[in-house]
Amino acid sequence: MNPDNRGYYGRYGGRFVPETLIPAVEGIEKAYRELQADPAFHEEFSYYMQNYVGRESPLYYARRLSNELGGARIYLKREDLNHTGSHKINNTIGQALLARRMGKKRLIAETGAGQHGVATATAAAVLGMACTVYMGAKDVERQRLNVFRMKMLGAEVCEVKKGSETLKDATNEAFRDFIASFEYSHMCIGSVVGPHPYPMIVRDFQSIIGKELREQFQALEGRLPDIILACVGGGSNSMGVFYPFLEDEVDLIGIEAGGKSDLPGEHCITLSQGTDGVLHGAFSRLLQDEHGQILDTHSISAGLDYPGVGPEHASLRESKRVRYVSVNDEEALSAFLRLSQIEGIIPALESAHAVAYAMKIAPGLHPDTALVVNLSGRGDKDVEQVAQLLESGR
Amino acid sequence: MGSLRDNLKSLQDKGDTAVISFIMAALPDENLCLDCIRALEQGGCDVLELGVPFTDPLADGEVIERFHHRGTEQGLNLSKCLDFAGKVAKVSTMPLVLFCYYNPIYKMGWDKFVAEASSLGIQGLIVPDVPLDEMELLQCDAIEPIPMVAPSSSDERMQKAAEQDPSFIYCVSVRGVTGVRGELPEQEIREYLGRVRSFSTAPLALGFGISRPEQVKIFRGSANAVVVGSHLARTIEEYSSRPHLLPGELEKIIRGLKQAGLS
Repeated sequence: MNPDNRGYYGRYGGRFVPETLIPAVEGIEKAYRELQADPAFHEEFSYYMQNYVGRESPLYYARRLSNELGGARIYLKREDLNHTGSHKINNTIGQALLARRMGKKRLIAETGAGQHGVATATAAAVLGMACTVYMGAKDVERQRLNVFRMKMLGAEVCEVKKGSETLKDATNEAFRDFIASFEYSHMCIGSVVGPHPYPMIVRDFQSIIGKELREQFQALEGRLPDIILACVGGGSNSMGVFYPFLEDEVDLIGIEAGGKSDLPGEHCITLSQGTDGVLHGAFSRLLQDEHGQILDTHSISAGLDYPGVGPEHASLRESKRVRYVSVNDEEALSAFLRLSQIEGIIPALESAHAVAYAMKIAPGLHPDTALVVNLSGRGDKDVEQVAQLLESGR
Repeated sequence: MGSLRDNLKSLQDKGDTAVISFIMAALPDENLCLDCIRALEQGGCDVLELGVPFTDPLADGEVIERFHHRGTEQGLNLSKCLDFAGKVAKVSTMPLVLFCYYNPIYKMGWDKFVAEASSLGIQGLIVPDVPLDEMELLQCDAIEPIPMVAPSSSDERMQKAAEQDPSFIYCVSVRGVTGVRGELPEQEIREYLGRVRSFSTAPLALGFGISRPEQVKIFRGSANAVVVGSHLARTIEEYSSRPHLLPGELEKIIRGLKQAGLS
């Protein structure tokens, strides 16, 4: 579904930013519409996707995992094999090209796990732009490797020691920078969140995942998959893989981070347990208290540790087109280890949530059922954290 | 309590610059905050803008942001701030404008919010993350939503703000978030205010970066009011170990700004 002219997907979306920023987001929308109609842009985008990112990403049949679980056949869409190690690069290359077209010299990004920060720093490097990445102090601590990577790529990393010191605070800080600098900077939002047109732009760039999957699966089995699973934090990899299938009879399931428990502050189950409200520029579902203050969240994976979610997901939940479930820290961790050992693929802790749900449902499904997990990123960045968790657990 | 519209209009007619003070509700604590508010009025403050702490204040700069976080850590929220506004109305006759991000208002429910806020005498509402396109969410008879414009705003948007026939238009002085600034680009701001003026006869309030009487003097004639916020917040922080001296200091600041704006 495309949003209406005010940026709404059904009831959700819109543009809730200070008036100062309106000319900036209007400018982005106008430039993006022009780009969409320009074949030269699509060619350039494809060029980078193919020769720089390494697309298309493989669709891999996880034979050993499927056999061991019994039941559905499990396929992995290997976004972990992209340059920089996750799906985030699809969007940052697209937005950096857009920014360059608008004459912007600098990219600003918010990052949680650091994957989007790395992908933005990479896009800035290859397109010759300056880059500033905001990252919560808590995430800097648990994702140190990515901080080094960003710095090596030439980006400035600003540690945010405010509020909960995670992605939401990094996002606030990136917005503040953008409000003051939009004449020469572009805020490269990493998920399908934020004011219109960001949720649409990010979805469009990420939908290359779903489009490829469609063709790959058609070529393999001459039909569409039965079930597609993807983890949901802000919701960019899931939106990207779901979007091209929204009109089809394919079961789409988004997996949120269940964290430690269902108690407030201990999870990120935004769609299923959150309520309507406004955060970071859009009306969507969010985790808040009875007074409308945004709650702290928790997830084992920094990339899902966020109290909001993209407005299109909120709308897809309401229309029941997509089903949203959750997987907790422990289940994600055990899926992380199992996929590593059984298939030789170390998944990002974010993606491990989707793998965990596949492991839950696959045994109960008929072998004719084809289930695709969008493996949104690789887990190298998580190895240190997992090692610590395992040691402390012993 | 004075009328927001009439007070600002009569100052505009006289050629005096009105002073609007922003202060975060119930901080550092309720009693000290009430003392500060009395002092602001003593100093000549014309309108009080009362802030509601929010966990994610993305339009605010460092100083005010610290107050938001301090407030939320102390458990302040919209309903407690409305209770506090009721206390303010008992000790002050300044017209009251509430500054609150949209989510707490949405969560309380618009009708309930309007009923409570208007019964307390709150006359105006500033919601920094609701731009002009979404302002219909804030329409009601009892409380007036105050439109904001910025130097980057197009003519169409200034026209849109003017069409509301507001008690005043909040004119953000520069690109960026709230905060104290050394130099404001004088000529640019004058031209910008002139542009807003070409669409509206309403009082124009210049905010963001205002802290010194010289600034008030410079813009007298193009701005009908100034909003001072971060400077007061910074002063409150500076006096945290000498709270008994704080009200006197705030009174002095406002008196200086007020006198600089007299015709």
